[in-house]
Amino acid sequence: MSVEKNGVSRRTLIKGAALGGVGIAGGATVLSSCGSQAEGPMSFGARTVDESPTKQLKALVAAYEAKTGNTVTYNATESNAFQNNLSQYLQGTPDDTFQWMAGYRMQFFAEQGLLADLSDVWTDLDDQYDSSYKIASTGTDGKQYFVPQSWYPWGLHYRKSMVAELGLDPENIATFDDLLKMYDAMSKKGIVGFAAGDKGGWEAMGTFDIINARVNGYQFHVDLLAGREKWTDQRVLDVFAQWELLLPYTNKNVLDLEWDGAMQLLLQRKAGSTLMGSWFGANFKEQSQADYDDLWIIPFPEINPEHGVDTIDAPIDGFCVAANGANTEVGKDFIKFAGDKEGMQAMLDSGIPMTSANKNQDTSTYDAFQKQQLNVMSQAKYITQFLDRDTRPDFAGPVVGPAIQAWYKNPKDVNKIVDSMQAQWDALPPL
Amino acid sequence: MNSTAINDRDKKVNRRRAFSRQDRFTLGAFIGLPTALHIILVWIPALATIALSFTYWTGIHFSDIRWAGLANYENIFQSTPLFWEALKNNVVWLLWFGLIATPLGVLLAYQIDRQIRGHAFYQTAFYIPVVLSLAVTGIIWNFMLRPDGFVNGLLGRDSLNAVSFFGDDRWNLYVILTISSWRHIGYIMLLYLAGLKAVDSSLREAAALDGATEWETFRKVILPTMRPVNIIILVITVIESLRAFDVVYIIYGTSGAQVPILGTLVFQNISGEGQSMKGAAYATILFILSIGPIIAYLRTTFKEDVK
Repeated sequence: MSVEKNGVSRRTLIKGAALGGVGIAGGATVLSSCGSQAEGPMSFGARTVDESPTKQLKALVAAYEAKTGNTVTYNATESNAFQNNLSQYLQGTPDDTFQWMAGYRMQFFAEQGLLADLSDVWTDLDDQYDSSYKIASTGTDGKQYFVPQSWYPWGLHYRKSMVAELGLDPENIATFDDLLKMYDAMSKKGIVGFAAGDKGGWEAMGTFDIINARVNGYQFHVDLLAGREKWTDQRVLDVFAQWELLLPYTNKNVLDLEWDGAMQLLLQRKAGSTLMGSWFGANFKEQSQADYDDLWIIPFPEINPEHGVDTIDAPIDGFCVAANGANTEVGKDFIKFAGDKEGMQAMLDSGIPMTSANKNQDTSTYDAFQKQQLNVMSQAKYITQFLDRDTRPDFAGPVVGPAIQAWYKNPKDVNKIVDSMQAQWDALPPL
Repeated sequence: MNSTAINDRDKKVNRRRAFSRQDRFTLGAFIGLPTALHIILVWIPALATIALSFTYWTGIHFSDIRWAGLANYENIFQSTPLFWEALKNNVVWLLWFGLIATPLGVLLAYQIDRQIRGHAFYQTAFYIPVVLSLAVTGIIWNFMLRPDGFVNGLLGRDSLNAVSFFGDDRWNLYVILTISSWRHIGYIMLLYLAGLKAVDSSLREAAALDGATEWETFRKVILPTMRPVNIIILVITVIESLRAFDVVYIIYGTSGAQVPILGTLVFQNISGEGQSMKGAAYATILFILSIGPIIAYLRTTFKEDVK
């Protein structure tokens, strides 16, 4: 431990003295290789206070402590509060390793120099991940700043027993028309087909993502979110027109319900299906094992044959190491353990459903629902993160969220809404 | 008046001379420390916010601050429809508090002061919500009115058929205003009651002897003698309406776009991953709106008092 401390202070000293490059680079490599046997206490910041994920993360922490003998302090923050405070948190005295998201949200903080470079961790993890995960973990400067934990696909979820009672078979649904026919049948039985909630302002972004990908394809979606296409484009209007076809089968109180409200409708058998990320499997399991076993997911059906079902929203959650942490080397050691098959297994062994991002993971212990998630995922060629992770954060939350809510209030205003969205995109400050 | 002023000054000088070193140190600390804290914690951040509202900045590295001129304000005024909605909502809030909630509080105070039957009970009942913070108020009413909440339960409606208290924009602002008034009325009542207790009862008797009706007594006798309290209540009403934030934030979360108000816009743009200082510009607008009318009002009132 004392070696480690000396190492850090020596490195800072050399940096401060600003001596010639080669010698320092050599020294730094030697020092950082000490990091693989990093010792000492560290702290871990969890972005959740919910029961199931907490159990899962504590299992990871316990496994790491048992393996290395390092003590880990576990700090939990409610997810919205954590997100709102992240920039202050990272500039203050952050936990060494913390839970975060891949993609734009990670890249922004990496660019600001608030995340530790994990390239050396990735040299060890490289053969355990598909390249798409490495790309999602890479900052704009080509270095890695993130280690994936898990992902969840966004798809249509339903209860197997419920559709069986109704004599329906969603697995045979191929097209949007088939979907509407199924919803028709449900609505004749007095059941809401498509449960939705958008009180939080972000939930329905997933519906926009998937319909846009189905109607206009992956490339248009990515270009639109990057500002290379316009929101006033006819193709965006097509998305809302398609979406409008779902409204007769949607609950009327979308703006009263948050994501868990929509989930409750499915759980209580008041709705036949909902479009959401599979993370809520854990909530079903908290309710009862029978409810969890009843849950199923299928990809959102094809709309435009040209694009089939080639795209899926599958946000990756994972970990970062804070650049300002008290013990960055141990933080890196921890994150390597977390990303490794071994750490993943510790989380899986907690019994909380999770789909590991690690490609070497032994999936034989996965239950049927988890295997179906893998199946849904494997049907997609393109993976998107989620609207609020794929576009500028000062556009997603403040502009797209309210715009979709306004559309739910009055779908006839769609032209006005997209005009305003484009005007607000154009008014964004330069990055 | 002149001579008294001079006398006053002489007195002051004498008194000051009488101060020992220790006294001077104590007094200096009494004035200096709060002033220093006030400047450091209030004025410097406020001025910094105003300055930052003319820049682009991610809020992380000082070296990244770039001059934006009026761009953030142009963005708000020209391209952000949510701002105008928020402004409208704050104005409705102000009108509601000014015309409904505050007068109701005054009315209650007046009735309780007249010691109507059960006044002690009413006083406690209306004051209890004031003990709770606005955040707690929001949490309580969220439990009451959400689709799977208490009221919808009483009405026998499940979450699918629930009355849409928070989701329907025909009335959700008024639902929020009612919730906020629940607390505001008690607050105003207490302040006014304290003032009324100080009114000399002989004034009221004299008015009654002169044959004034209850309304005339209130308007022509009580209200003018209550002038200092009236000012405080007016200022509180304006400030509470403009700084409104807690209840909306608790009920709608960070997005808050269903009932946009200036307070939530400031928060939404300045926290999290905001890319510009648009949030600082919102804060500056809110600051000007709050401070303007209050300074103007206080100046005119104090001028009249001096006369």
